[in-house]
Amino acid sequence: MSQLPTQPVVKRREFLKVLGSAGAAATAVGCSQERVEQLIPYITSPDHTVPGVSTNYSTICRECSAACGVVAEVRDGRAIKLEGNPAHPVNRGALCARGQAALQGLYNPDRYRGPMVREGSQLVPATWEVALQRVRQQIAAVRVAGTGRGVRFVSQHESGSFGGFVDQWMAAAGFGEHLAFDPEADLAVRAVNQAEYGSASPALDFAAAQLIVSIGADFLDGWGSSVSQQLSFAAARARLAVAPRFVYVGARRSLTGLNADEWIACRPGSELSIANAMLAALIGGGGPTLAEAATAAGVSEAALQAIVDVLRTTRPSLVLAGVGTPDAHLVAQTVARINKAVGNVGPTVKPADGPVGLGATVGAQAMGALAAEMNAGSVPMLFVRGANPVYSLPRVLQFAEGMQRVGFKVSFSCYPDETAELCDVVLPDNHTLESWGDSEPVAGTLGLQQPVMDPLFNTRAAADVLLDLARGDAAMASRFSATSYRDFVMARYPGGREAFAQALAGGIGSGSTLTRAAPAPAMLRTTSAPLTGDGEFYLIVHPSPVLGAGAGANKPWLQELPDPVSKIAWQSWVEVHPSTAARLGIRPGDHVTITTPAGSVTAPAYLYLGIHPEAVAVALGQGHTAYGRYAQGIGINALDALGATVDGAGRLAWTQARATVSKAEGRSPLVTTEGSARQHGRGIARAVTAAQLAAGEARQDAHHEFIGDASHEFLPGLRAPVANDAQGDLGDPASGSKGMYAPDHWSGMASRRWAMTIDLARCTGCSACVTACYAENNIPTVGARWQGRSLRPFHNANSGWDTTPGANILKGREMAWLRIERYFEGGEDGAADFETRFLPMLCQHCGNAPCESVCPVFATYHAPDGLNVQVYNRCVGTRYCSNGCPYKVRYFNWHGYGEVERRQYAFPEPLNLQLNPDVTVRGKGVMEKCSFCVQRIRDAENLAAQEGREVAPDEFTTACAQACPSRAIVFGDAASEQWSVSRQVEDQRAYHVFEELNTFTAVVYLQKVNHPGGPR
Amino acid sequence: MSGRRSWVLVSGFLAITIAALGLSAYSGASSSQGFAPPQPVDFPHPRHVQQLGMNCLYCHYAANKSPDPGLPAVGTCMGCHNIIPPTRSEIEGFAPRNAAAIAQLLLFAPQGTPAEWQPIPWVRIHKLPEYVHFPHMRHVNAGVTCQTCHGPVQEMQRVYQYASLNMGWCVNCHVKGYKLADGLLAAGDTAGAQAAANVEPKKARYDCAVCHY
Repeated sequence: MSQLPTQPVVKRREFLKVLGSAGAAATAVGCSQERVEQLIPYITSPDHTVPGVSTNYSTICRECSAACGVVAEVRDGRAIKLEGNPAHPVNRGALCARGQAALQGLYNPDRYRGPMVREGSQLVPATWEVALQRVRQQIAAVRVAGTGRGVRFVSQHESGSFGGFVDQWMAAAGFGEHLAFDPEADLAVRAVNQAEYGSASPALDFAAAQLIVSIGADFLDGWGSSVSQQLSFAAARARLAVAPRFVYVGARRSLTGLNADEWIACRPGSELSIANAMLAALIGGGGPTLAEAATAAGVSEAALQAIVDVLRTTRPSLVLAGVGTPDAHLVAQTVARINKAVGNVGPTVKPADGPVGLGATVGAQAMGALAAEMNAGSVPMLFVRGANPVYSLPRVLQFAEGMQRVGFKVSFSCYPDETAELCDVVLPDNHTLESWGDSEPVAGTLGLQQPVMDPLFNTRAAADVLLDLARGDAAMASRFSATSYRDFVMARYPGGREAFAQALAGGIGSGSTLTRAAPAPAMLRTTSAPLTGDGEFYLIVHPSPVLGAGAGANKPWLQELPDPVSKIAWQSWVEVHPSTAARLGIRPGDHVTITTPAGSVTAPAYLYLGIHPEAVAVALGQGHTAYGRYAQGIGINALDALGATVDGAGRLAWTQARATVSKAEGRSPLVTTEGSARQHGRGIARAVTAAQLAAGEARQDAHHEFIGDASHEFLPGLRAPVANDAQGDLGDPASGSKGMYAPDHWSGMASRRWAMTIDLARCTGCSACVTACYAENNIPTVGARWQGRSLRPFHNANSGWDTTPGANILKGREMAWLRIERYFEGGEDGAADFETRFLPMLCQHCGNAPCESVCPVFATYHAPDGLNVQVYNRCVGTRYCSNGCPYKVRYFNWHGYGEVERRQYAFPEPLNLQLNPDVTVRGKGVMEKCSFCVQRIRDAENLAAQEGREVAPDEFTTACAQACPSRAIVFGDAASEQWSVSRQVEDQRAYHVFEELNTFTAVVYLQKVNHPGGPR
Repeated sequence: MSGRRSWVLVSGFLAITIAALGLSAYSGASSSQGFAPPQPVDFPHPRHVQQLGMNCLYCHYAANKSPDPGLPAVGTCMGCHNIIPPTRSEIEGFAPRNAAAIAQLLLFAPQGTPAEWQPIPWVRIHKLPEYVHFPHMRHVNAGVTCQTCHGPVQEMQRVYQYASLNMGWCVNCHVKGYKLADGLLAAGDTAGAQAAANVEPKKARYDCAVCHY
């Protein structure tokens, strides 16, 4: 007999007993006292604030040079939301995604907590005294050596007095040049504008134009003051049947290009001959003929002729140039002459109304000269603030190598970026939301920047540090009387402190910023320069509309925001034309290597109709080797393949080289949120032509007749989506008590019908609404490399974690309650022009919702005021509702992104300080979706009750509608004629997505209006 | 042990567990009703409210204008206690006093040295789950007395959680309505309660999304 044990050591019954009692104990502990929390009061209550009630502060956004006015909502000392300042002349209440994400710069978990000094190869934390002492010593040493003229200060785009202040400081110290380096600024256009119009950045009035022609000017992507341009462009589109036709000339269809009615896909580098030919055709004189230009550009002569014909006969029009080739200045010059010739200066190009002080910015040429000086060892000391030249310049300029030869480098960076990492001392600046400053959006008008909260960390405003250094320096002390930059700004203000304090609340004052000592933008070279290299393709590099030239990459909202064109997030990609891809055997996601004389980059391919077949395109913004956990190690930096070629004003030529393109080893699935780029006849995003609209043919029929619409009689609402509330009994006219669903119920809830209209004629697909939704509703980002769960946890060497950036998105687990769908129409053969339609898709708050009837626990149901409600604490996560939803707008919280103890936690400290206290942070296993910003509805109701009145028409709106720089979204009570939305739903362009499903949606879309060519 | 007997035991155990869970849920055992933690300062509500006649809103100053009622800043306490020390000899008919609570307060806020004051880490008693939004001001402005939900705080030497704060407890009031007379009675205003005897109960919306979002 074998000796196998017959008696287990622990009997099964005993094991179960132990298990049972342990479970009971755990339950008892779990149910007893909750975690003890503390309530920490103030020492002294601050004036003018009430705990739990927001205080709004007007200030300025500094994410790009446009300097939009923002209002920061501050709750209990923490900024929780940024919205546009309605009174600001630039953005008039709207704000782009990048501006809104400034909050994630403020609360970035990788911000420097305090000063850092270099010990050997590392930066280590230090006190301000130690760090400043080192700087003072070095300044003294430079003085002794007599090399002060070689000291350089590199700052970012400076659209305020700070630039002039630094000029003064450098001069007082006896130091050399101050370079404000903005890689995104279109210096060529600014220089030409200065010369031709007398203003570097004239205001552009799209709404007044009868025809808009853009030669590479991506005015919706970040070229110039994109929010104000978008407001104006949307106003132009809102003229509907008589809106201006928009023609885009360029080798790549950017977001701006996708909004055009016609795309003239010219060969890269041929823009100049097109512009010259158009000018020659308009005013005579020398220059190529249209036929010659058309041949050189590979486009049809008739298309160019049509533009010229309209330019000649229809006034005013608006012609813009913004190409990235070495000839950018010449294209801009020709275009300026076209505008002058056809009388656009004044009506649509308004030199008197533009922002002031954007001029004295330098590009790669000046920075390359600095790098050469540094490499030659003639720069003893370098200050860097805001800019990140080590990342933002092509490698061939050897800026990083030059840094090694600079005696002492001081960074004022908030973040551990590539440049700061190479510095000897880091004196972290306050974030812009913690700083004082100003800007001049229109000549004579001052935008005021104030701190909206106390500094989060042990940081100091760079300007205050400079003043501090000046005070301790015998040579400089007498030059600066102000003890802080706040005093400096106030002292400059007309009327002094009191007038300043009065203007501060509105964020707008009168006055002018300090002018820079640097000269106005000017042409440095007037000759043409060819594209270099001898490859088969042209490489087009362009700033990302989301990440800019790279500064946005450390903000998870922006990483998670799909690129408006490609719908790709957390990744770099190479745009290849489908016909080219077919020729080279490239499938989507295949790695592609682009080689130029300057270097090469490799990234997965994205097949894109909107790129010239002879070109490939890569966006800037990714490929960081530092800059914090969200930016580092994602994608590639396209600058690695660019040489030092600049345009005539010294900005890096983004399209400068021919390249060879080859298929590389490997494949990466594209992290895209797109299901299909085509509608497959589903009629989701609809459009009419201007002619159809004018003829009254836009109306979609059969809105009014619905069978089985039981609750139609007693509930007010939109003409179609009348709430079929409460799933049965209460919706039945024969039922007795309808409770709160009865229109005459004392609660009055059923008298409202919250609804939304989205005007696709206005929507440009910019995605500002998406970020607004993330900010307002505590939506987690899920794409960071540590958040990815492997689908096969036991087969993965990495113990169940998938560290591919965007791994969760690849599985369709993104959480965007509001997404922008982008559909292409036509051009299937890859040769013809195609049309693009953008459609913001969110919960449609169906009156007859398929999700509601399948929920086993009533976690989703229809509220009497028309909301499709999701009750998180009822939800048990069956996901039946998501299966039932035809719009796919319900998002399941797979991994507990809101739970601090999880690796997937989306709000690592201090990002959690941004969370909106009015919205639940959802836990694992809960379905979530757009709530129509129910917290804002309740807030408005609370405020109205507090003031003893009804909610006033259009008193509040949702976060997406508030942010929209196209003013495409209107929200309100469709049951009341007083609200704008109830007029909007009567528009003849109104339709419901998937109307045939009888979902009776509360979101009504207004069809896009197309302006095909031909006579008008 | 026979197979049948073990099955009886298992199902019996299950039945008892389910019954216990059900009972505990029904009785509100999952609530922290009655929670009365010791506080860093033994603040005597009765002395301040009943003897000195202070209004709740003097300290909980945001209760009528914010979702959060607000806690008194240390400066609010010291507005009086800068001149009211822990010990006092007999004056004008008042017995001498040795108030330990004031001594505790002064540990956080030494008299006359505001720069050294520290916030008092009060232990939170009333806490709704984070998926519930309770706007204090709507209730206070509707005439709901503080004592309706918080109980006779004016008599509590140490504050405890009076009501269960469970959802059923909330909804009961929203559906049936708040009787002003009951609220005034709870606040100790007998005369007011009598005068308000015929006031209609005030109802409130009870849709889920009024509180849960």
